[in-house]
Amino acid sequence: MGRSACILLALLSACSEGAAKDLQYIKQARSIGAEWALVNDQAHSGRVTTVYVQSMHHWLHDSLQTASSSLTQPQSEYGREISQLLAEPADAPPDQLRSHVTKLKQIEDQLESA
Amino acid sequence: MNPLELTLGIMTAVGGFVDISELVFAARAGSTFGFALIWVFAFSTVGIVVFSEMSGRVAAVAKQPVFNLMRHRLGLELGLVTLVASVISNLITCAAEIGGVALMLNYLLGLSYVLMAVAMTIALIVSIWVLPFKWIERAYGLLGLFMIVFAAALFANHAPWTRIAGGLVPQVPRGLTTKEMLSFGYFCVAIVSAVMFPYEVYFYSSGGIEEEWGPKDILTNRLTSILGMGLGSLLAIAILANSAILFGPANVDPAIPGTAALEAAIPFGKWGLILALLGMFFAVAGAAVETCLANAYSIAQFFGWAWGRHKKPWEAPRFTLTWIILFLAALAIVLTGVDVMTLVEFAVLFSILVLPLTYLPLLLLSGDRKFMGRYANGAVTKWLGWFYFWIVCIAAVAALPLYFLTSGGNG
Repeated sequence: MGRSACILLALLSACSEGAAKDLQYIKQARSIGAEWALVNDQAHSGRVTTVYVQSMHHWLHDSLQTASSSLTQPQSEYGREISQLLAEPADAPPDQLRSHVTKLKQIEDQLESA
Repeated sequence: MNPLELTLGIMTAVGGFVDISELVFAARAGSTFGFALIWVFAFSTVGIVVFSEMSGRVAAVAKQPVFNLMRHRLGLELGLVTLVASVISNLITCAAEIGGVALMLNYLLGLSYVLMAVAMTIALIVSIWVLPFKWIERAYGLLGLFMIVFAAALFANHAPWTRIAGGLVPQVPRGLTTKEMLSFGYFCVAIVSAVMFPYEVYFYSSGGIEEEWGPKDILTNRLTSILGMGLGSLLAIAILANSAILFGPANVDPAIPGTAALEAAIPFGKWGLILALLGMFFAVAGAAVETCLANAYSIAQFFGWAWGRHKKPWEAPRFTLTWIILFLAALAIVLTGVDVMTLVEFAVLFSILVLPLTYLPLLLLSGDRKFMGRYANGAVTKWLGWFYFWIVCIAAVAALPLYFLTSGGNG
Protein backbone atom coordinates (compact mmCIF):
# COMPACT_ATOMS: atom_id res chain seq x y z
CA MET A 1 0.00 0.00 0.00
CA GLY A 2 2.80 2.35 1.03
CA ARG A 3 4.76 1.39 -2.09
CA SER A 4 1.77 2.06 -4.39
CA ALA A 5 1.23 5.44 -2.77
CA CYS A 6 4.88 6.30 -3.34
CA ILE A 7 4.66 5.30 -7.01
CA LEU A 8 1.43 7.33 -7.42
CA LEU A 9 3.05 10.31 -5.71
CA ALA A 10 6.12 10.04 -7.94
CA LEU A 11 3.90 9.83 -11.04
CA LEU A 12 1.84 12.83 -9.96
CA SER A 13 4.94 14.84 -9.18
CA ALA A 14 6.45 13.93 -12.58
CA CYS A 15 3.22 15.05 -14.26
CA SER A 16 3.09 18.36 -12.41
CA GLU A 17 6.78 18.93 -13.15
CA GLY A 18 6.04 18.39 -16.86
CA ALA A 19 3.08 20.74 -16.68
CA ALA A 20 5.23 23.37 -14.96
CA LYS A 21 7.79 23.01 -17.74
CA ASP A 22 5.00 23.37 -20.28
CA LEU A 23 3.60 26.50 -18.67
CA GLN A 24 5.57 28.85 -20.90
CA TYR A 25 4.28 27.06 -24.02
CA ILE A 26 0.71 27.16 -22.71
CA LYS A 27 1.13 30.92 -22.21
CA GLN A 28 2.54 31.29 -25.72
CA ALA A 29 -0.31 29.28 -27.24
CA ARG A 30 -2.90 31.30 -25.29
CA SER A 31 -1.38 34.56 -26.51
CA ILE A 32 -1.11 33.34 -30.11
CA GLY A 33 -4.77 32.31 -30.03
CA ALA A 34 -5.71 35.76 -28.72
CA GLU A 35 -3.58 37.50 -31.39
CA TRP A 36 -5.19 35.34 -34.06
CA ALA A 37 -8.68 36.28 -32.82
CA LEU A 38 -7.71 39.98 -32.81
CA VAL A 39 -6.38 39.76 -36.39
CA ASN A 40 -9.57 38.01 -37.54
CA ASP A 41 -11.70 40.61 -35.76
CA GLN A 42 -9.98 43.36 -37.72
CA ALA A 43 -10.06 41.34 -40.94
CA HIS A 44 -13.83 40.79 -40.66
CA SER A 45 -14.40 44.52 -40.25
CA GLY A 46 -12.09 45.30 -43.21
CA ARG A 47 -9.58 47.31 -41.15
CA VAL A 48 -6.44 45.43 -42.23
CA THR A 49 -5.05 44.43 -45.62
CA THR A 50 -5.49 40.90 -46.97
CA VAL A 51 -1.73 40.52 -47.35
CA TYR A 52 -1.17 41.41 -43.69
CA VAL A 53 -3.85 38.96 -42.55
CA GLN A 54 -2.40 36.11 -44.61
CA SER A 55 1.10 36.86 -43.39
CA MET A 56 0.01 37.04 -39.74
CA HIS A 57 -1.88 33.75 -40.10
CA HIS A 58 1.26 32.13 -41.45
CA TRP A 59 3.52 33.37 -38.64
CA LEU A 60 1.00 32.75 -35.87
CA HIS A 61 0.40 29.20 -37.08
CA ASP A 62 4.15 28.69 -37.26
CA SER A 63 4.64 29.93 -33.68
CA LEU A 64 1.73 27.84 -32.44
CA GLN A 65 3.17 24.76 -34.11
CA THR A 66 6.50 25.42 -32.38
CA ALA A 67 4.81 25.86 -28.99
CA SER A 68 2.79 22.68 -29.53
CA SER A 69 5.79 20.58 -30.52
CA SER A 70 7.75 21.85 -27.50
CA LEU A 71 5.23 20.43 -25.01
CA THR A 72 6.54 17.63 -22.82
CA GLN A 73 2.96 16.34 -22.32
CA PRO A 74 1.16 16.68 -25.66
CA GLN A 75 -1.56 14.24 -24.55
CA SER A 76 -2.56 16.38 -21.57
CA GLU A 77 -5.70 18.50 -21.41
CA TYR A 78 -3.79 21.59 -22.50
CA GLY A 79 -1.98 19.61 -25.22
CA ARG A 80 -5.34 18.61 -26.70
CA GLU A 81 -6.62 22.18 -26.44
CA ILE A 82 -3.58 23.50 -28.30
CA SER A 83 -4.00 20.80 -30.97
CA GLN A 84 -7.63 21.84 -31.42
CA LEU A 85 -6.54 25.47 -31.76
CA LEU A 86 -3.96 24.44 -34.37
CA ALA A 87 -6.65 22.60 -36.33
CA GLU A 88 -8.83 25.71 -36.65
CA PRO A 89 -9.05 27.21 -40.16
CA ALA A 90 -7.11 30.45 -40.72
CA ASP A 91 -10.30 32.52 -40.97
CA ALA A 92 -11.98 30.90 -37.94
CA PRO A 93 -14.54 33.11 -36.16
CA PRO A 94 -12.83 35.18 -33.42
CA ASP A 95 -15.23 33.89 -30.75
CA GLN A 96 -14.35 30.29 -31.57
CA LEU A 97 -10.66 31.12 -31.19
CA ARG A 98 -11.34 32.97 -27.95
CA SER A 99 -13.06 29.93 -26.47
CA HIS A 100 -9.74 28.05 -26.79
CA VAL A 101 -7.95 31.07 -25.31
CA THR A 102 -10.30 31.08 -22.32
CA LYS A 103 -9.71 27.37 -21.66
CA LEU A 104 -5.94 27.74 -21.96
CA LYS A 105 -6.02 30.76 -19.66
CA GLN A 106 -7.92 28.73 -17.04
CA ILE A 107 -5.34 25.93 -17.23
CA GLU A 108 -2.52 28.48 -17.06
CA ASP A 109 -4.04 30.12 -13.95
CA GLN A 110 -4.51 26.73 -12.28
CA LEU A 111 -0.89 25.76 -12.94
CA GLU A 112 0.40 29.11 -11.73
CA SER A 113 -1.55 28.94 -8.49
CA ALA A 114 -0.46 25.30 -7.87
CA MET B 1 24.23 76.35 -35.29
CA ASN B 2 22.09 75.95 -38.41
CA PRO B 3 18.42 75.62 -37.30
CA LEU B 4 17.50 73.49 -40.32
CA GLU B 5 20.39 71.11 -39.67
CA LEU B 6 19.47 70.96 -35.99
CA THR B 7 15.80 70.23 -36.74
CA LEU B 8 16.73 67.52 -39.22
CA GLY B 9 19.18 66.03 -36.73
CA ILE B 10 16.54 65.94 -33.99
CA MET B 11 13.89 64.48 -36.31
CA THR B 12 16.37 61.85 -37.47
CA ALA B 13 17.08 60.88 -33.87
CA VAL B 14 13.34 60.69 -33.13
CA GLY B 15 12.60 58.47 -36.14
CA GLY B 16 15.66 56.35 -35.56
CA PHE B 17 15.15 55.78 -31.83
CA VAL B 18 12.98 52.68 -31.95
CA ASP B 19 14.52 49.45 -33.19
CA ILE B 20 13.23 45.88 -33.27
CA SER B 21 14.15 45.16 -29.63
CA GLU B 22 12.42 48.26 -28.28
CA LEU B 23 9.42 47.50 -30.44
CA VAL B 24 9.15 43.94 -29.15
CA PHE B 25 9.80 44.72 -25.49
CA ALA B 26 7.57 47.82 -25.43
CA ALA B 27 4.64 45.81 -26.80
CA ARG B 28 5.26 42.87 -24.46
CA ALA B 29 5.85 45.10 -21.42
CA GLY B 30 2.56 46.92 -21.95
CA SER B 31 0.48 43.78 -22.41
CA THR B 32 2.06 42.01 -19.41
CA PHE B 33 2.44 44.79 -16.83
CA GLY B 34 0.15 47.57 -18.07
CA PHE B 35 1.69 51.01 -17.60
CA ALA B 36 4.01 49.92 -14.77
CA LEU B 37 7.14 49.75 -16.95
CA ILE B 38 6.85 53.19 -18.56
CA TRP B 39 9.28 54.61 -16.00
CA VAL B 40 11.96 52.09 -17.06
CA PHE B 41 11.80 53.45 -20.63
CA ALA B 42 12.00 57.04 -19.34
CA PHE B 43 14.81 56.14 -16.92
CA SER B 44 16.86 54.33 -19.60
CA THR B 45 16.33 57.17 -22.06
CA VAL B 46 18.02 59.57 -19.61
CA GLY B 47 20.90 57.05 -19.50
CA ILE B 48 21.35 56.86 -23.27
CA VAL B 49 21.04 60.66 -23.54
CA VAL B 50 23.84 61.07 -20.97
CA PHE B 51 26.20 58.66 -22.73
CA SER B 52 25.35 59.78 -26.28
CA GLU B 53 25.96 63.39 -25.36
CA MET B 54 29.23 62.35 -23.73
CA SER B 55 30.39 60.36 -26.76
CA GLY B 56 29.40 63.18 -29.13
CA ARG B 57 31.30 65.72 -26.99
CA VAL B 58 34.41 63.54 -26.93
CA ALA B 59 34.15 63.14 -30.71
CA ALA B 60 33.82 66.92 -31.12
CA VAL B 61 36.61 67.94 -28.73
CA ALA B 62 39.11 65.08 -28.70
CA LYS B 63 38.22 63.80 -32.18
CA GLN B 64 38.36 60.33 -30.71
CA PRO B 65 35.75 57.64 -31.40
CA VAL B 66 34.68 55.35 -28.55
CA PHE B 67 36.66 52.28 -29.58
CA ASN B 68 39.90 54.14 -29.92
CA LEU B 69 39.47 55.28 -26.32
CA MET B 70 38.62 51.81 -25.21
CA ARG B 71 41.88 50.36 -26.50
CA HIS B 72 43.89 53.06 -24.75
CA ARG B 73 41.95 53.07 -21.48
CA LEU B 74 41.28 49.35 -21.03
CA GLY B 75 44.57 48.11 -22.44
CA LEU B 76 45.01 45.78 -25.39
CA GLU B 77 43.77 42.56 -23.77
CA LEU B 78 40.61 43.89 -22.11
CA GLY B 79 40.06 46.09 -25.16
CA LEU B 80 40.17 42.99 -27.36
CA VAL B 81 37.70 41.16 -25.09
CA THR B 82 35.37 44.17 -25.33
CA LEU B 83 35.80 44.27 -29.09
CA VAL B 84 34.94 40.58 -29.52
CA ALA B 85 31.97 40.81 -27.14
CA SER B 86 30.58 43.92 -28.77
CA VAL B 87 31.07 42.55 -32.29
CA ILE B 88 29.08 39.43 -31.32
CA SER B 89 26.41 41.53 -29.62
CA ASN B 90 26.10 43.95 -32.55
CA LEU B 91 26.12 41.12 -35.07
CA ILE B 92 23.20 39.40 -33.35
CA THR B 93 21.42 42.75 -33.08
CA CYS B 94 22.03 43.38 -36.79
CA ALA B 95 20.65 39.92 -37.63
CA ALA B 96 17.54 40.67 -35.53
CA GLU B 97 17.09 43.97 -37.40
CA ILE B 98 17.48 42.32 -40.83
CA GLY B 99 14.98 39.64 -39.80
CA GLY B 100 12.67 42.40 -38.56
CA VAL B 101 12.94 44.33 -41.85
CA ALA B 102 12.18 41.17 -43.83
CA LEU B 103 9.15 40.50 -41.61
CA MET B 104 7.81 44.03 -42.14
CA LEU B 105 8.08 43.60 -45.92
CA ASN B 106 6.38 40.24 -45.59
CA TYR B 107 3.47 41.91 -43.74
CA LEU B 108 3.34 44.72 -46.30
CA LEU B 109 3.83 42.85 -49.56
CA GLY B 110 3.32 39.18 -48.75
CA LEU B 111 6.61 38.25 -50.42
CA SER B 112 8.80 35.43 -49.08
CA TYR B 113 10.56 36.22 -45.78
CA VAL B 114 13.83 34.62 -46.89
CA LEU B 115 13.75 36.39 -50.25
CA MET B 116 13.05 39.71 -48.50
CA ALA B 117 15.93 39.17 -46.06
CA VAL B 118 18.33 38.63 -48.98
CA ALA B 119 16.90 41.52 -51.04
CA MET B 120 16.97 43.93 -48.10
CA THR B 121 20.54 43.04 -47.18
CA ILE B 122 21.57 43.88 -50.74
CA ALA B 123 19.48 47.08 -50.65
CA LEU B 124 21.05 48.15 -47.34
CA ILE B 125 24.57 47.49 -48.66
CA VAL B 126 23.81 49.52 -51.80
CA SER B 127 22.31 52.36 -49.74
CA ILE B 128 25.45 52.63 -47.58
CA TRP B 129 27.65 52.48 -50.67
CA VAL B 130 25.70 55.11 -52.61
CA LEU B 131 24.42 57.61 -50.03
CA PRO B 132 26.62 60.23 -48.36
CA PHE B 133 26.98 59.53 -44.60
CA LYS B 134 24.62 62.29 -43.50
CA TRP B 135 21.85 60.96 -45.74
CA ILE B 136 22.31 57.33 -44.75
CA GLU B 137 21.28 58.30 -41.23
CA ARG B 138 18.69 60.84 -42.27
CA ALA B 139 16.91 58.80 -44.93
CA TYR B 140 16.04 56.00 -42.52
CA GLY B 141 15.52 58.22 -39.48
CA LEU B 142 13.18 60.66 -41.22
CA LEU B 143 11.13 57.92 -42.87
CA GLY B 144 10.96 56.19 -39.48
CA LEU B 145 8.84 59.17 -38.41
CA PHE B 146 5.85 57.32 -39.89
CA MET B 147 5.86 55.69 -36.47
CA ILE B 148 4.26 58.85 -35.11
CA VAL B 149 1.06 57.02 -36.03
CA PHE B 150 1.53 55.09 -32.74
CA ALA B 151 1.40 58.36 -30.78
CA ALA B 152 -1.70 59.43 -32.73
CA ALA B 153 -3.25 56.03 -32.01
CA LEU B 154 -2.80 56.65 -28.32
CA PHE B 155 -5.17 59.63 -28.58
CA ALA B 156 -7.61 57.69 -30.76
CA ASN B 157 -7.55 54.74 -28.33
CA HIS B 158 -8.77 57.06 -25.55
CA ALA B 159 -5.61 56.74 -23.49
CA PRO B 160 -6.03 57.03 -19.70
CA TRP B 161 -3.54 59.88 -19.38
CA THR B 162 -3.52 59.95 -15.58
CA ARG B 163 -2.56 56.28 -15.42
CA ILE B 164 0.07 56.76 -18.13
CA ALA B 165 1.55 59.69 -16.20
CA GLY B 166 1.47 57.47 -13.08
CA GLY B 167 3.60 54.96 -15.00
CA LEU B 168 6.42 57.50 -15.08
CA VAL B 169 6.83 57.12 -11.32
CA PRO B 170 9.31 54.33 -10.45
CA GLN B 171 7.27 51.42 -9.12
CA VAL B 172 6.88 47.68 -8.80
CA PRO B 173 3.23 46.61 -9.18
CA ARG B 174 1.64 45.35 -5.98
CA GLY B 175 0.51 41.79 -5.41
CA LEU B 176 2.92 40.10 -7.82
CA THR B 177 3.89 36.48 -7.20
CA THR B 178 7.59 35.64 -6.97
CA LYS B 179 7.53 34.43 -10.58
CA GLU B 180 5.85 37.61 -11.76
CA MET B 181 8.31 39.68 -9.75
CA LEU B 182 11.22 37.93 -11.48
CA SER B 183 9.53 38.47 -14.82
CA PHE B 184 9.12 42.17 -13.99
CA GLY B 185 12.84 42.27 -13.14
CA TYR B 186 13.69 40.61 -16.45
CA PHE B 187 11.64 43.18 -18.36
CA CYS B 188 13.41 46.02 -16.50
CA VAL B 189 16.82 44.64 -17.48
CA ALA B 190 15.75 43.96 -21.08
CA ILE B 191 14.36 47.47 -21.52
CA VAL B 192 17.52 49.07 -20.08
CA SER B 193 19.55 46.98 -22.53
CA ALA B 194 17.29 47.66 -25.53
CA VAL B 195 17.29 51.42 -24.96
CA MET B 196 21.01 51.68 -24.11
CA PHE B 197 22.34 49.34 -26.82
CA PRO B 198 26.13 49.81 -27.14
CA TYR B 199 25.97 50.22 -30.92
CA GLU B 200 24.17 53.53 -30.42
CA VAL B 201 27.17 55.27 -28.85
CA TYR B 202 29.66 53.62 -31.25
CA PHE B 203 27.63 54.85 -34.18
CA TYR B 204 26.85 58.27 -32.72
CA SER B 205 30.45 59.12 -31.80
CA SER B 206 31.88 57.80 -35.07
CA GLY B 207 29.17 59.74 -36.90
CA GLY B 208 30.33 62.90 -35.14
CA ILE B 209 33.82 62.34 -36.51
CA GLU B 210 32.45 61.50 -39.97
CA GLU B 211 30.66 64.85 -39.94
CA GLU B 212 33.78 66.61 -38.64
CA TRP B 213 32.21 67.97 -35.47
CA GLY B 214 34.21 70.51 -33.52
CA PRO B 215 33.66 72.40 -30.24
CA LYS B 216 31.20 74.68 -32.08
CA ASP B 217 28.89 71.66 -32.49
CA ILE B 218 28.66 70.87 -28.78
CA LEU B 219 25.32 72.63 -28.35
CA THR B 220 23.90 70.88 -31.42
CA ASN B 221 25.14 67.56 -30.00
CA ARG B 222 23.49 68.28 -26.66
CA LEU B 223 20.15 69.34 -28.16
CA THR B 224 20.09 66.43 -30.62
CA SER B 225 20.77 63.94 -27.84
CA ILE B 226 18.26 65.37 -25.37
CA LEU B 227 15.42 66.30 -27.72
CA GLY B 228 15.92 63.60 -30.37
CA MET B 229 16.22 60.67 -27.99
CA GLY B 230 13.76 62.12 -25.49
CA LEU B 231 11.04 62.54 -28.11
CA GLY B 232 12.00 59.22 -29.72
CA SER B 233 11.41 57.41 -26.45
CA LEU B 234 7.87 58.83 -26.43
CA LEU B 235 7.18 56.65 -29.48
CA ALA B 236 8.35 53.57 -27.59
CA ILE B 237 6.19 54.61 -24.63
CA ALA B 238 3.22 55.08 -27.00
CA ILE B 239 3.68 51.50 -28.24
CA LEU B 240 3.79 50.27 -24.64
CA ALA B 241 0.72 52.26 -23.61
CA ASN B 242 -1.32 51.20 -26.67
CA SER B 243 -0.38 47.61 -25.89
CA ALA B 244 -1.55 48.02 -22.28
CA ILE B 245 -4.88 49.40 -23.54
CA LEU B 246 -5.53 46.98 -26.40
CA PHE B 247 -3.53 43.80 -25.86
CA GLY B 248 -3.44 43.29 -22.09
CA PRO B 249 -7.22 42.98 -21.67
CA ALA B 250 -7.39 40.71 -24.77
CA ASN B 251 -4.89 38.21 -23.27
CA VAL B 252 -2.40 39.04 -26.03
CA ASP B 253 1.31 38.95 -25.23
CA PRO B 254 2.63 39.83 -28.71
CA ALA B 255 4.41 36.73 -29.98
CA ILE B 256 5.42 38.25 -33.30
CA PRO B 257 6.53 41.82 -34.16
CA GLY B 258 3.66 42.37 -36.63
CA THR B 259 1.08 42.37 -33.85
CA ALA B 260 2.25 45.84 -32.74
CA ALA B 261 0.95 47.26 -36.03
CA LEU B 262 -2.60 46.43 -34.90
CA GLU B 263 -2.26 49.27 -32.37
CA ALA B 264 -2.63 51.70 -35.28
CA ALA B 265 -4.96 49.51 -37.37
CA ILE B 266 -7.62 49.25 -34.66
CA PRO B 267 -8.30 53.03 -34.50
CA PHE B 268 -7.29 54.06 -38.05
CA GLY B 269 -7.95 51.01 -40.24
CA LYS B 270 -5.84 50.04 -43.26
CA TRP B 271 -3.98 53.35 -43.53
CA GLY B 272 -3.03 53.21 -39.87
CA LEU B 273 -1.73 49.69 -40.41
CA ILE B 274 0.29 50.66 -43.49
CA LEU B 275 1.81 53.75 -41.83
CA ALA B 276 2.74 51.70 -38.75
CA LEU B 277 4.37 48.98 -40.86
CA LEU B 278 6.24 51.54 -43.00
CA GLY B 279 7.46 53.38 -39.90
CA MET B 280 8.59 50.12 -38.31
CA PHE B 281 10.24 49.07 -41.58
CA PHE B 282 12.33 52.24 -41.94
CA ALA B 283 13.20 52.50 -38.24
CA VAL B 284 14.37 48.88 -38.12
CA ALA B 285 16.23 49.21 -41.46
CA GLY B 286 18.02 52.27 -40.05
CA ALA B 287 18.97 50.28 -36.96
CA ALA B 288 20.34 47.47 -39.20
CA VAL B 289 22.59 50.00 -40.94
CA GLU B 290 23.69 51.52 -37.64
CA THR B 291 24.54 48.18 -36.00
CA CYS B 292 26.52 47.03 -39.01
CA LEU B 293 28.44 50.29 -39.41
CA ALA B 294 28.98 50.48 -35.63
CA ASN B 295 30.64 47.07 -35.79
CA ALA B 296 32.82 48.04 -38.74
CA TYR B 297 33.79 51.31 -37.01
CA SER B 298 34.77 49.39 -33.84
CA ILE B 299 36.94 46.88 -35.68
CA ALA B 300 38.62 49.49 -37.89
CA GLN B 301 39.25 51.86 -34.97
CA PHE B 302 40.63 49.10 -32.78
CA PHE B 303 43.14 47.96 -35.39
CA GLY B 304 43.93 51.49 -36.54
CA TRP B 305 42.69 51.06 -40.12
CA ALA B 306 41.48 53.90 -42.32
CA TRP B 307 37.75 54.16 -41.74
CA GLY B 308 34.66 56.23 -42.45
CA ARG B 309 31.95 56.68 -45.02
CA HIS B 310 33.23 60.20 -45.73
CA LYS B 311 36.01 58.39 -47.60
CA LYS B 312 35.40 56.67 -50.93
CA PRO B 313 34.90 52.92 -50.35
CA TRP B 314 38.24 52.12 -51.99
CA GLU B 315 40.05 54.69 -49.83
CA ALA B 316 39.19 52.62 -46.73
CA PRO B 317 39.18 49.12 -48.28
CA ARG B 318 39.43 47.08 -45.05
CA PHE B 319 36.66 49.11 -43.43
CA THR B 320 34.46 48.71 -46.54
CA LEU B 321 35.09 44.98 -46.73
CA THR B 322 34.37 44.65 -43.01
CA TRP B 323 30.89 46.22 -43.11
CA ILE B 324 29.96 44.21 -46.20
CA ILE B 325 31.13 40.95 -44.57
CA LEU B 326 29.27 41.84 -41.36
CA PHE B 327 26.04 42.39 -43.29
CA LEU B 328 26.47 39.02 -45.01
CA ALA B 329 27.25 37.33 -41.67
CA ALA B 330 24.07 38.82 -40.16
CA LEU B 331 22.10 37.60 -43.18
CA ALA B 332 23.62 34.13 -42.76
CA ILE B 333 22.32 34.06 -39.17
CA VAL B 334 18.83 34.98 -40.40
CA LEU B 335 18.98 32.31 -43.11
CA THR B 336 19.65 29.58 -40.52
CA GLY B 337 15.94 29.98 -39.73
CA VAL B 338 16.35 31.21 -36.17
CA ASP B 339 13.25 33.11 -35.06
CA VAL B 340 13.47 36.94 -34.95
CA MET B 341 12.08 37.01 -31.40
CA THR B 342 14.87 34.64 -30.27
CA LEU B 343 17.44 36.88 -31.94
CA VAL B 344 15.96 39.88 -30.14
CA GLU B 345 16.27 38.06 -26.78
CA PHE B 346 19.90 37.17 -27.47
CA ALA B 347 20.73 40.66 -28.72
CA VAL B 348 19.38 42.19 -25.53
CA LEU B 349 21.22 39.66 -23.33
CA PHE B 350 24.59 40.04 -25.03
CA SER B 351 24.32 43.82 -25.16
CA ILE B 352 23.72 44.26 -21.45
CA LEU B 353 26.87 42.23 -20.77
CA VAL B 354 28.91 44.55 -23.01
CA LEU B 355 27.44 47.82 -21.73
CA PRO B 356 29.69 48.36 -18.66
CA LEU B 357 32.82 47.83 -20.77
CA THR B 358 31.49 50.26 -23.37
CA TYR B 359 30.61 53.04 -20.97
CA LEU B 360 33.52 52.92 -18.51
CA PRO B 361 36.29 54.24 -20.82
CA LEU B 362 33.93 56.85 -22.19
CA LEU B 363 33.09 58.00 -18.69
CA LEU B 364 36.75 58.18 -17.69
CA LEU B 365 37.84 60.05 -20.76
CA SER B 366 34.99 62.54 -20.95
CA GLY B 367 35.73 63.51 -17.33
CA ASP B 368 39.47 63.90 -17.92
CA ARG B 369 40.29 67.63 -17.79
CA LYS B 370 43.74 67.08 -19.33
CA PHE B 371 42.10 65.61 -22.37
CA MET B 372 38.82 67.49 -22.59
CA GLY B 373 39.83 70.84 -21.06
CA ARG B 374 36.82 73.01 -20.26
CA TYR B 375 34.55 70.53 -22.07
CA ALA B 376 35.10 67.81 -19.46
CA ASN B 377 32.04 66.42 -17.64
CA GLY B 378 30.36 68.86 -15.27
CA ALA B 379 29.16 67.79 -11.81
CA VAL B 380 25.69 66.72 -13.00
CA THR B 381 26.93 64.74 -16.01
CA LYS B 382 29.63 63.13 -13.89
CA TRP B 383 27.12 62.06 -11.24
CA LEU B 384 24.59 60.82 -13.82
CA GLY B 385 27.33 58.99 -15.74
CA TRP B 386 28.53 57.05 -12.70
CA PHE B 387 24.98 56.41 -11.53
CA TYR B 388 24.02 54.86 -14.87
CA PHE B 389 27.30 53.00 -15.08
CA TRP B 390 26.48 51.20 -11.82
CA ILE B 391 22.93 50.59 -13.00
CA VAL B 392 24.16 48.83 -16.16
CA CYS B 393 26.65 46.85 -14.05
CA ILE B 394 23.82 45.61 -11.81
CA ALA B 395 21.67 44.88 -14.86
CA ALA B 396 24.54 42.96 -16.47
CA VAL B 397 24.95 40.77 -13.37
CA ALA B 398 21.20 40.14 -13.11
CA ALA B 399 20.53 39.55 -16.82
CA LEU B 400 21.47 35.88 -17.26
CA PRO B 401 19.93 34.56 -14.01
CA LEU B 402 16.70 36.45 -14.73
CA TYR B 403 16.62 35.18 -18.31
CA PHE B 404 16.92 31.54 -17.21
CA LEU B 405 14.62 31.85 -14.20
CA THR B 406 11.83 33.40 -16.27
CA SER B 407 12.43 31.59 -19.60
CA GLY B 408 12.98 34.96 -21.22
CA GLY B 409 10.07 36.63 -19.46
CA ASN B 410 7.67 33.85 -20.45
CA GLY B 411 7.83 31.63 -17.41
